[in-house]
Amino acid sequence: MITLNHYLIVSGLLFSLGLAGVVARRNILIIYMCLEMMLSAANLTLVAFTRFHVTDGLPDFTAQSLVFFTITVAAAEVAVGLAIIVALYRTKRSVETESVTQLQG
Amino acid sequence: MSVFAVEIFLVLLGVGLLCLEALLPSVTRRAIAALSLGGTALALVLFAFADTSAAALPAFVQPFHQLDSLALFYKGFALVATLAVLWLTVENRGYLERHCPEGRHGEMFSLPPLVCAGMMWMASAKDLMTVFVCLELVTVSFYVLVAFARKSSLVLEAGVKYLILGALSTGVLVYGIAWTYGVTDSMSFDGISAALADPETPRRGALLGAAFLLAGLGFKVAAAPFHIWVPDVYQGAPLPVTTFLSVGSKAAGFVVLSRVVAAFTAAESLIRTEITTLLLIAGAATILLGSLPALFQTSVKRLLAYSSISHAGYLLLALAAAPTARHDLSSAGVTAFYLGTYLPMTVLGFLVLSVLRQNGVGDDLRDLAGLGRRQPFLALAATLGFASLAGLPLTAGFMGKLLVFLGLVDHAAWAALTCAVIGAAAGFYYYLRPVLAMYSGSPATAEPIKLSTATRAVLFALVAAIIVIGVYPRSLQAPLKSAGTTAVHASH
Repeated sequence: MITLNHYLIVSGLLFSLGLAGVVARRNILIIYMCLEMMLSAANLTLVAFTRFHVTDGLPDFTAQSLVFFTITVAAAEVAVGLAIIVALYRTKRSVETESVTQLQG
Repeated sequence: MSVFAVEIFLVLLGVGLLCLEALLPSVTRRAIAALSLGGTALALVLFAFADTSAAALPAFVQPFHQLDSLALFYKGFALVATLAVLWLTVENRGYLERHCPEGRHGEMFSLPPLVCAGMMWMASAKDLMTVFVCLELVTVSFYVLVAFARKSSLVLEAGVKYLILGALSTGVLVYGIAWTYGVTDSMSFDGISAALADPETPRRGALLGAAFLLAGLGFKVAAAPFHIWVPDVYQGAPLPVTTFLSVGSKAAGFVVLSRVVAAFTAAESLIRTEITTLLLIAGAATILLGSLPALFQTSVKRLLAYSSISHAGYLLLALAAAPTARHDLSSAGVTAFYLGTYLPMTVLGFLVLSVLRQNGVGDDLRDLAGLGRRQPFLALAATLGFASLAGLPLTAGFMGKLLVFLGLVDHAAWAALTCAVIGAAAGFYYYLRPVLAMYSGSPATAEPIKLSTATRAVLFALVAAIIVIGVYPRSLQAPLKSAGTTAVHASH
């Protein structure tokens, strides 16, 4: 029997993996992929919680609708983010984090 | 006409300007700037005369919208900040033309109204879902604004850094929302505070959710330890966008924080002491990590970035302190008051930098030498702005800091108060350095700097606002008053 805790552990692992990737990787595209993974982990947590919070035999749909907002917003974020990363690549010919170290003080 | 109609008007204005820019290339930049400025000013006028009762809202938004005095204050704040930023964009047109592809920067005028609508909506949020959507409307627009002048590699670098850390904070925020919902079974602030008063709610889960939620919001308001992006992004981004980040994005973060913290620290809440302690520690650390590096900055723009971090610290301390009997403002009211004093002085600082840049003066401390002789009015206005940021008595900044300090004294938070005093003392040193530079030393050229009549008028208005709030703080306190009393009653 799969319980709420199983879902929460999986989503927690997914979130930690994403966070570890953001901290450890040097390629901005991969960092961006890891960020999307963190958002998916948050969505999985939300869906799991709504599924196990049953009122009148139905899951809580008000909270579940936040997942759709998150997916839409994530898509918008990817559209803008990839445009910025492409612009960076055109100027610097690299998407490694070493190419963005000019600003210091 | 309801406040909601003003928000819809702003969205239509932003989208309309975007379409105009994309579909009719013959429309001049000047026309787009005029439409944007005029439209936002019209929205401010409409807002001033709008029907602010909740009954005036359309029925379908009523369950998701609240119009208390805090919400109305932040809505007005968003409109004024947007107008100021649009004006700064006009002032910086030379820089933007050089660094935007093909010199086109229409989006710099069409996105701020959208951001403004997001901030206005957010101020009225009653649940975490509205908060999330509005916060993302603001943040995604900011990704574009920060990276827009992409011919400059510094701007691109700032854009990428803001993008990565902004997206990271979004992930953390949604994870926090999910856990908060999972533990309290509710998305609305009322439901969350009711669930937290119930001793059967799992305390550890609630703390986990609250920690992630506050961390996500901490990124937006530049609270330690999530402030590392601020100096680089502020320095790299174009000046109007830096101002918008510093004023608008911060206010947006703090209105949400006010609501969230109020829900988490309601009188019976299980996690009240933990959240208050967390805020006090974060606030004190933010002040120190903002003020101490500021002592060693030579770029005024970077100095203002660190200053913005340390002000976020004071704002956090204002939120953490319990409401006192000394005045009629709640903690959220003091936060709003502080932001109200912060707006004119920050905009003034960045406006002075914009004028200097238009005249070919850099933003290094050495470049300011002899400004007092080249342009006495500009130097005087800048001096007042910096004095207010430092918190000199009879300026707006002093009243803000005083209210925060009083709150900490009544809360008996002595450690946090010590850090706040150290930060304020350091502030006197690093804010008065540019002033000293302006009045001592000889300028590289004796050529006077010309100010247009409009720039003079805006400078004068900002200086007047700083002095009026400093001498007569009731002017800013009055619109926040009922927010104070209702919140105090609610917490007793």
